Amino acid sequence: MMQVMPEKRVNRHHMKSNSASPQEITPEYLAGLLGEVALSRSRRAFSELFKHFAPRLQSFATRQFGNEQTAMDLVQETMTNVWHKAHLFSPDKGSPTTWIFTIARNIRFDILRKNKKNQNDISADELWPVLSEEMSDSDDEFAIDQTILLQEITSYYSQLPDAQRVVIEHIYIEGKSQQEVSDELGIPLGTVKSRTRLALQKLRELITDHD
Amino acid sequence: MIKFHPNEELLVQYVQGNLDSALAVVVGTHIDMCQHCAQQKKDIEDHLSAKAFGAATDFNELSMQTMLDEIMNSSAPAIEVPHKVNKHVVVEGKQFRLPPSLARVSKRLGEWSKVPGSVWRAPLQIDNDSAINLIYMGAGASVPEHTHRSQEATLVLNGTFIDEHDRYHDGDFVFLNADHRHSPQTAEEDCLTLAWLDAPLQFTSGMARLLNPFSSLFFK
Repeated sequence: MMQVMPEKRVNRHHMKSNSASPQEITPEYLAGLLGEVALSRSRRAFSELFKHFAPRLQSFATRQFGNEQTAMDLVQETMTNVWHKAHLFSPDKGSPTTWIFTIARNIRFDILRKNKKNQNDISADELWPVLSEEMSDSDDEFAIDQTILLQEITSYYSQLPDAQRVVIEHIYIEGKSQQEVSDELGIPLGTVKSRTRLALQKLRELITDHD
Repeated sequence: MIKFHPNEELLVQYVQGNLDSALAVVVGTHIDMCQHCAQQKKDIEDHLSAKAFGAATDFNELSMQTMLDEIMNSSAPAIEVPHKVNKHVVVEGKQFRLPPSLARVSKRLGEWSKVPGSVWRAPLQIDNDSAINLIYMGAGASVPEHTHRSQEATLVLNGTFIDEHDRYHDGDFVFLNADHRHSPQTAEEDCLTLAWLDAPLQFTSGMARLLNPFSSLFFK
């Protein structure tokens, strides 16, 4: 999950001197520290992250709240989440700075809501599931059950009518949207949808028949 | 291709957490459906985080060490059991899949009720100040011409609707202010939308004006 290690960090700019800061802070370096926290609960790695982010979070939070105590609460709550949930960071999805910013954004949202004391109000994690343990996949409309491997399905493809198979291949193999398939094949969107639905239905039948 | 998108200002407010919560659900759902806006959202996050964390305050060494120790000695939070979400809604015997942003708030969805014009609505209670509605229009349905006292945002979840201005398909996000009047209708295809209103509709044409006293039946 955390392949990016400090050695891999890229220095885009030629540093005039390395003597002042022995360790250039790059996103890759920070991601490496998060990886160490996630894998081995490294206190040293977390201390470095803390020293980098806490003063920045405090500056941000003070500007947001204009209240020192609330600002410190936000710093502590944000960094506590980083300590316990570093395993939820994924370098493919963005930089550590952005990830921590979105955690702080959520905590700020909930702090502001708490002051209004309406229990049924929406919470930040309903709006932005930054720290959700389940990965939310936003592209799973009409997605087939994850446990069914594509290669298993491939063998059933030949049994689909040509028109349906073409649509399914465009969507699931080439990753096109239904609208793109409609444009490309020159058939109405409604037809693409119904062919997709029928094809998936047929595939499900074929798969369950085989189980 | 999705033709209508939230403007950059809405996306920025969404990322900052400053948007009306109910409207944030609509914008988030659009982002689920739209790769273009998903990328823009990412760029805005990168930009805002760099800006937010551009300055650092002088942190008192002692309080910094105290906080650091407290954090590393804190016990891990209990793993929350994810609440049950409905990934689909059913209306008039038709089933629709909900994009993740809507599925996450599906427990907030109320009962479907019919309103005049072959239209069904189900309210989604987001907080005390604001609500949004799922609106289902059967094929050949219409909502009488109306304006809005202020603003309306409509996101097409599935199907097509038409008004005087354009045709709107899956993923299209339409933002109208008080100056716009329109009469949405469907043709041969039905349509499921997610609609946010910050004030009741005002019907503007002919007999439909009689509906105005009851306009809260419509959507809010």
